[in-house]
Amino acid sequence: MKPSPASVLLALLLAVPVTAQPPSVKAEVIPVTETIPDDPEIQKIIAPLAEEIRASFGQPLVQAPQGVFRGRRGEENLLGYWVSDVMRHAAQPLVGAPVRFAITNAGGLRANLRPGQLKVGDIFELMPFENELIVIELTGAEVIQVVKEGLLRRGGEPCSGVKVKVEGTPQQAVLTVTWEDGSPIDPAAVVKVATTDYLYGGGDSIPTLKKGRRPFTTGVTLRQMLLDQCAALGKAGKDLLPPAPGRYTVPVPILEAIRDKTFKL
Amino acid sequence: MERRTFLASLSAAAVASQVPMKAAEGPAAGRITLLHTNDTHSRIEPFGPGNGAISGKGGMARRATLVKQLRSQLGPVLLLDAGDTFQGTPYFNRYKGRLDYQLMRMVGYDATTLGNHDFDNGVEMLVEAMASMEKLQHRNPPFAFLNCNFDCKGAPELAKRIRPYMVREFPGVKVGITGVGVAFAGLVAPKNHEGIVWRDPYESLKPVVKRLREVEKVDLVVVLSHLGYDVKDAAHDDLRLPGQVAGIDAIVGGHSHTFLDAPVKVKQAQGETLVFQVGFGGVNLGRMDFTLARGEVRAASGAAMPVVG
Repeated sequence: MKPSPASVLLALLLAVPVTAQPPSVKAEVIPVTETIPDDPEIQKIIAPLAEEIRASFGQPLVQAPQGVFRGRRGEENLLGYWVSDVMRHAAQPLVGAPVRFAITNAGGLRANLRPGQLKVGDIFELMPFENELIVIELTGAEVIQVVKEGLLRRGGEPCSGVKVKVEGTPQQAVLTVTWEDGSPIDPAAVVKVATTDYLYGGGDSIPTLKKGRRPFTTGVTLRQMLLDQCAALGKAGKDLLPPAPGRYTVPVPILEAIRDKTFKL
Repeated sequence: MERRTFLASLSAAAVASQVPMKAAEGPAAGRITLLHTNDTHSRIEPFGPGNGAISGKGGMARRATLVKQLRSQLGPVLLLDAGDTFQGTPYFNRYKGRLDYQLMRMVGYDATTLGNHDFDNGVEMLVEAMASMEKLQHRNPPFAFLNCNFDCKGAPELAKRIRPYMVREFPGVKVGITGVGVAFAGLVAPKNHEGIVWRDPYESLKPVVKRLREVEKVDLVVVLSHLGYDVKDAAHDDLRLPGQVAGIDAIVGGHSHTFLDAPVKVKQAQGETLVFQVGFGGVNLGRMDFTLARGEVRAASGAAMPVVG
């Protein structure tokens, strides 16, 4: 026997409040692209401020009579040394403890500092990323491993606090890593290490950095840190000079083997 | 879908469209759209060239246009954010977050929560940015700061600006919104969160969600979370939250800068929780549409909306 259409409707109506429905929702991601026009009210506020920001790029910071350069093939990355030195020294007061080692990635330094008057915009060109300074703890053995990983991947990533020497031939090489004053690194000692959130997060394949313990995110971008350092030097009437070379000593045949990906350590 | 359920939902739609709603009869059928961002990080302007896939995307003036369009098309909309508004561009260095919050009010945000970077200049500067937003002369009301797991007794100026939750009522839908923040350890320098004690977000949420459900009698519970989407080495994240705290309908997530194409459905004791997060920097706007009938999260509405210039 078929129920009448009216009784079906009535039954359904009665069923409505008690019928359990699996929750379901419609959702999407809307990309905010240039096809969407600017809201005039908001843009009116932003435009003059953007102008101010851009004008601030022309503000003078410090004289760099020799410039600071990343170095060509086979040359040391003095710009990277300077950045990692600033990282190490900026990190110490933030964590309230000595920071023995700092490392960044050469690939993150996007422009040389050309000789002459440095402006705010030059630092933005050097460091366009929002990478943050982060402090972690590693053992001495892990510090050496970090240096080794950077060496194998790119012939040595810019670092501060150590001296690195590779001797021998591509077939038979010996790596020596000491603290900057030449004293040996105790493999068991726990030291504070300054790096970037990018490298700590696994960027640029220095996997041992990911093992860092007690990470402290400083909230300071590398760029802001460099801006502050340049402004402080300028205010003190000092020049920005490149750090001394000699942190990495690697024979040319070995550097070539690293580039050819035939080198093992 | 079962045939019976399908018919029932059809008839529910028929009832909703044909019978005029009467407030006295309690919630009948309602619709709400949640629009959301997270980790906007002072990206006032669109990303410049050289930023890979996100080059040319974002920008607050465009976001304002988009929100205006969607509000006029959809009606009941809440614009929400999951924290980390601060830090990332010279705008923050120069204007200390005041500009970010003021523009958020002008864009029409209803609520946000606090991320770790919102403490980057310390509590005093955060309060100053909040106060400058409150003082702004603008037709939009100030937006709310929601958090239920920061004990701010030691920072009274901040305490009076943070609410554990808020309730907003739309025709046929009552929405309860709360917020949770990530642990300070390793993220916020102690001097920058002076006077604020972080509490376990799961334990803090339980009584708030219960209150929203049982006392405030909301139809939809939304959590603004700055815990991160899937954070293996942390004790709390958005994917694990629904299993720990039942009764949440949607998590508007942040912190991990996770680009999700669609919300992830996570089973929980009272049904499902939608976990969503839309990257960072205002590159994307998230949208979740809920249709509710008689207090039950019921069905989807709102087709994908092409964004036209």
